[in-house]
Amino acid sequence: MKAFFSALLKSPSGLAGFVLLSLFIAIAIFAPMAGLVSPIRGDLMARLSPPTWTGPFSPGAHPLGTDEVGRDILSRIVNGSRLTLLLATTAVVLGGIVGTLLGIIAGFYGGIVDRILMRLVDIQLALPLMLLALLVVAALGPSFVNLVIVLALTSWIRYARIIRGQVFALREREFVQSAYAIGASTWRIMLRHILPNVLTPALVVATLELARIIIMDAALSFLGLGVQPPNPSWGRMLADGRVYISTAWWIVTFPGLAILLTVLSVNLLGDWLRDHFDPKMRTSR
Amino acid sequence: MMKSLKAAFIGTTILASPMATLAVNAADLTIALSNQVNTFDPHMTASVGSDLSVLSHIYPTLVLRGADLELHGSLATEWKLIDDNTWHFTLRDGATFSNGEPLDAEAVKWNLERVRNPELKARVAGWFTLVSEINVLSPTMLEVKTSSPYPAFVAQLSMFLLLPPVWASEHNPVTETMSGGPYVMDSVVPGESIVLKPNPNFFGDKAEFDKVTFRTIPETGSRIAGLLAGEVDLITGIPVTELDRINQSGQATAGAVNSTRSVMIKFNTTVPPLDNAKVRQALNYAIDKEGISAALFNGLAQPSQCQILSENYFGYNPDLKPYEYNPDKAMQLLSESGADLSQPIPFDVPVGVYLQGTEVAQVIAAQLADVGVNLQINEMEFSVYMNKYLQTKKLAATSLLAQAWPTIDADGLLTLFAPGNNYAYWDNADFGAALEEGRSSTDEAVRLTAYRKATDIMCDQAPAIFLYTQPATYAYSNDVTWTPRGDDWVRAFDMHPAK
Repeated sequence: MKAFFSALLKSPSGLAGFVLLSLFIAIAIFAPMAGLVSPIRGDLMARLSPPTWTGPFSPGAHPLGTDEVGRDILSRIVNGSRLTLLLATTAVVLGGIVGTLLGIIAGFYGGIVDRILMRLVDIQLALPLMLLALLVVAALGPSFVNLVIVLALTSWIRYARIIRGQVFALREREFVQSAYAIGASTWRIMLRHILPNVLTPALVVATLELARIIIMDAALSFLGLGVQPPNPSWGRMLADGRVYISTAWWIVTFPGLAILLTVLSVNLLGDWLRDHFDPKMRTSR
Repeated sequence: MMKSLKAAFIGTTILASPMATLAVNAADLTIALSNQVNTFDPHMTASVGSDLSVLSHIYPTLVLRGADLELHGSLATEWKLIDDNTWHFTLRDGATFSNGEPLDAEAVKWNLERVRNPELKARVAGWFTLVSEINVLSPTMLEVKTSSPYPAFVAQLSMFLLLPPVWASEHNPVTETMSGGPYVMDSVVPGESIVLKPNPNFFGDKAEFDKVTFRTIPETGSRIAGLLAGEVDLITGIPVTELDRINQSGQATAGAVNSTRSVMIKFNTTVPPLDNAKVRQALNYAIDKEGISAALFNGLAQPSQCQILSENYFGYNPDLKPYEYNPDKAMQLLSESGADLSQPIPFDVPVGVYLQGTEVAQVIAAQLADVGVNLQINEMEFSVYMNKYLQTKKLAATSLLAQAWPTIDADGLLTLFAPGNNYAYWDNADFGAALEEGRSSTDEAVRLTAYRKATDIMCDQAPAIFLYTQPATYAYSNDVTWTPRGDDWVRAFDMHPAK
């Protein structure tokens, strides 16, 4: 752990990603204690108010302005981050568990099991992921659980492919063969000997997937298939505010920045993680 | 032989016209549509804002509704009521379609019979179910008999476009056109644009534009940008907050007029808790209609006067006053009603059809939450919503809906709430009886009394939350002049090149 952090400290971009992401997570966790105004109840008369700092100084009011029905944008972004991060993390974990397990099974058994699973992956890769997500949400209806399922569904294939490759190499290694020799069950070998060795690549995939899923969630919300109003969601704020982009730039700018910074921080951290665990990169360091 | 000669002649005029255009540097007009044109068959659509507006340049009508919202003669020069059930129309002499087919009483009769043929399943067949007999008295004199008085008949004819009979039997009117109106179709890019050229053989006033383009631009921001960039001359459906910006640009004139479309929260009164009249009234008290109009529409939306009719409708009831905004009274009524409000009530919101519709929906949900009624917003495509509304008949307990009737007559609009009507989801026998009474006579005083009764009942029983009349927002470039109108017609022959 100590070595990990000292390595992180040496990489400015990785550190920046880590700090930013931690900050966002902290904001999301402690948002209810910040005493912000309701993200759902708006003041109609204060509709489309510009951010307070752009005009004459007036403390308190709406630091980032209000949206088209008079809701505080700062409060909506902060509360939206709870939803976005929760959704993305759940989807990544779910997709990661399913993908890793199927990847291990495919790699470990090989043969017909492997072929069936990998053709399944091929079929899904041939479908545009956005189209798949749209179809599923349209069929099941938009809700938090359905969204998590959809996003996890578009994500498991990436884990499965990478993990399968890793397992192919691992299963021929001496420690696996010796576990066989002393009569360990296949499940025990998979969980105790192979799984720990593929967790690192899975973690790297997970960070990159997290970024992709945040973007996808925003896109689905933008199309009206994400979290239903009046609950705040970044993509949805973009969609609703775009009509006013020329008269009220703040409605789309701040949620847009929130998406940008979150995805950027996750990507920076993910890149660094990948390099950190890559033996080839390690020698060059 | 004759036909091919004519075709050749038309061909040469079309080829020749671009040169003429260059020579006189004539006026071109581009109109932006929010929705694409779905069919060229004028009897298979009732969408005034897109399909019918475009097709009204190609096909003639007996009468036209002018910018003053009054009816004016077009092919018909005169019409009169002989008795309660008999109409006489005098038609222009010598009018023809572009292919030479006569545009006479026989052609009008053929068109009326075409839509009345049940096999065709014409979208507009419902307009003419009362028509019982069509007689051609002479090529310029048409007699139409109705089975019962039908006072809105002429108004309905202003939306009824006439096809050339012989041509229509040999061609597919869904994909092809043959002009009898002021313009002919020049080129079509489906879903993108339709270009029209003047029709030299038109019986009426000469076309003032040498080229009229209808462009489909669904995105509001793009429509405004197109106007300010000078690519488009007329746009509609703009959020009211953008009007000032367009006016200040100095490139165009923007504004809003009252439309004929009444926005409401439609109740499905067949499901609890909306089967309880007290709940329905309480919800009306809980909504700040004035506030919504003032804040969201800069006061440009006229709050509904406890009825879905706006002032320009025949049958408007001037004595009704809106439910006042009184959350306390709403809460009191809700507790008296004894209705179970523990579960959230579904609230369907079609997206992209109503001006600032999603904003209104969120404000409604917030205001109802204040009196302890929780709405669960479900946004959906308009087609999905209409499917629930009319096909599967599973309308959500509450939904955002705006309705209008192009004849601007209570008879049409109120019928959407009549018992047994597919659109109603409300069953009130007294209301139905009052409507029957209004339809049974052509005497205006009798009809007004009947509709007054009907609107009184509707106000009290509240089958909807009466919200406001949707403002018809528009902007047109300085290159043209246009009289803004509240029905959805956007027509080149209502516009003129600016001097």
